[in-house]
Amino acid sequence: MPRDLSVVRTGAVLCAIVAVTAIAAPWLPLDPNRIDLGRVLEAPSLAHWMGTDGLGRDVLSRLAHGARVSLGVGVGTAAIALLIGLPLGALAGYRGGFWDAVVSRAIEAVLCFPALLLALALLSVAPGWLSRLPETARLAFALGLVAWTPTARYLRAEFRRLRTSEAVLAARAAGAGGWRIAVRHLLPQGIAPVLVTLAFGAAAASLAEASLSFIGIGVAPPTASWGQMLLEALRHMGRAWWLALFPGAALFVTVYGFNRLAEGLRDWLDPRPLLR
Amino acid sequence: MGELTAVRRAASAAVTLALVSVVVFALASTLPGGDDEDEGERRLPADYRTAVRAQFHLDEPWHLRYARWLGDLSRGDLGVSLREKRPVTSILRERLPVSLALNAAALAAIVLVAVPLGIAGAWRPASRPDRLLALGTTALYAVPVFWAALLLQWLFAVRLGWLPLFGYAGPAHLVLPVACLTYGGLAYVSRFVRTAIVEGTTGEGGRVARARGVGPLRFLLVHGLRQAAIPLLTLAGFLVPRLVGGSLLIEEIFGVPGLGSLMFQSVLARDLPVVLALTLLSGTVTLVAMTGADLLAAWVDPRSRRAA
Repeated sequence: MPRDLSVVRTGAVLCAIVAVTAIAAPWLPLDPNRIDLGRVLEAPSLAHWMGTDGLGRDVLSRLAHGARVSLGVGVGTAAIALLIGLPLGALAGYRGGFWDAVVSRAIEAVLCFPALLLALALLSVAPGWLSRLPETARLAFALGLVAWTPTARYLRAEFRRLRTSEAVLAARAAGAGGWRIAVRHLLPQGIAPVLVTLAFGAAAASLAEASLSFIGIGVAPPTASWGQMLLEALRHMGRAWWLALFPGAALFVTVYGFNRLAEGLRDWLDPRPLLR
Repeated sequence: MGELTAVRRAASAAVTLALVSVVVFALASTLPGGDDEDEGERRLPADYRTAVRAQFHLDEPWHLRYARWLGDLSRGDLGVSLREKRPVTSILRERLPVSLALNAAALAAIVLVAVPLGIAGAWRPASRPDRLLALGTTALYAVPVFWAALLLQWLFAVRLGWLPLFGYAGPAHLVLPVACLTYGGLAYVSRFVRTAIVEGTTGEGGRVARARGVGPLRFLLVHGLRQAAIPLLTLAGFLVPRLVGGSLLIEEIFGVPGLGSLMFQSVLARDLPVVLALTLLSGTVTLVAMTGADLLAAWVDPRSRRAA
């Protein structure tokens, strides 16, 4: 049956829009942090396409700069999740036995906590090296330390399944060592579900960044972040709809884009018609 | 399910719980003001400092403190809140029912809405309604919960005035928080139900039932939904931590005096004993829920009984 690429395409286009916005942000004409108390809470106009906030700052510029934070944390968290989850999952799945038990218990222990709660605790505890990192990296670290479990779980399952496959037995018979089998034979075959979890993870991380910034633990002012902009919208509820609409919509597009990308990849890589 | 498997599952859960308690304790002992002294502390008189450190046993090595904490824990003593100056257990006893009510209502709402949606989707797989349902619920899943809270508060409390904005004084106060906790889970659960039903009805068993002349609705509900029981149980185990995490924000936004808002305020105030107790509690609840769901699923599923 023909593989349906429309879902992947939707996701990729939405993610690309956010990425282009994030990259283009520094070239926008208006400074995201320039305060203009003469033009406070102005509705969208030709001068300010998305209006101004409570300090007269341009919402569009702040939105674009917020995309840098959101995307940075999303992608950064996925990278750290991969960095932790890949070796652990491979170890558990390939070696099995004792290592499998250790990694599996660790995964279970991390899964026991709501991710946001653990990240919140990590951020408020913030050991020295963590608090010295730049903001985006700090959030990505705190979230990544919690977000690696799906990567490890899926890779473990794939490696376990593939370990006894004929291709691997053939490679072993041909004299390939453990490393060579893991990297050259298992990894290329087992990486597909990991890519899917990474895209889902990026969506969750962008959302978590916004949540943390919304409650004042994430990105500190004046750096623009969508969560923080929504917190400001809360203060002007009922008076300035544009403050709540645009950052929320931007966050929705990012999360929806990553999720669609993940779902599309999953269906595309594993085209069982039932899941359509 | 074989008793041996159940015992092994419970034993591995116990190991995980021990690991959880170490993680929690390690996190807590790196909190500022714990192990090392900072600027503000050095300004206090030396003898007062020693007295305070001795009072909270901070002069002991960490493994002794961990043992002491475990000992207190086993006697049901969770310490005294630094912020409210009263036992943590009495605070928990006040707030637990509120969170339980909120989360139970949300869980019930998810199941009540998502199961019919899943059945509707499975009625004609890949048809237009099925696709629209999937699209709608996945879109809802991507709506940030605090944004939804904001919009709902504005619409129903500020603009229309139908529901209270904030606080907790009766069932009406629960409507908006429950709605916020529900909509995100719909995609997951309805998709699960739908897939399970489709798999149940298109397989061999499904074809046999059809050939026997089972009517379409009965076929869908009896033969399909029964297949969905196992994944639904596992899913319920996973939904619990999601809800606990979600209600952290929601309780704070809507001013619901439950465990979520307590956690939130305690983290901000660095109220160590409360943070410790809550993290451990949520970890334990989640572990019990996941293990319980596993055991129940195995008990329901005849295949795993044999596999054991």
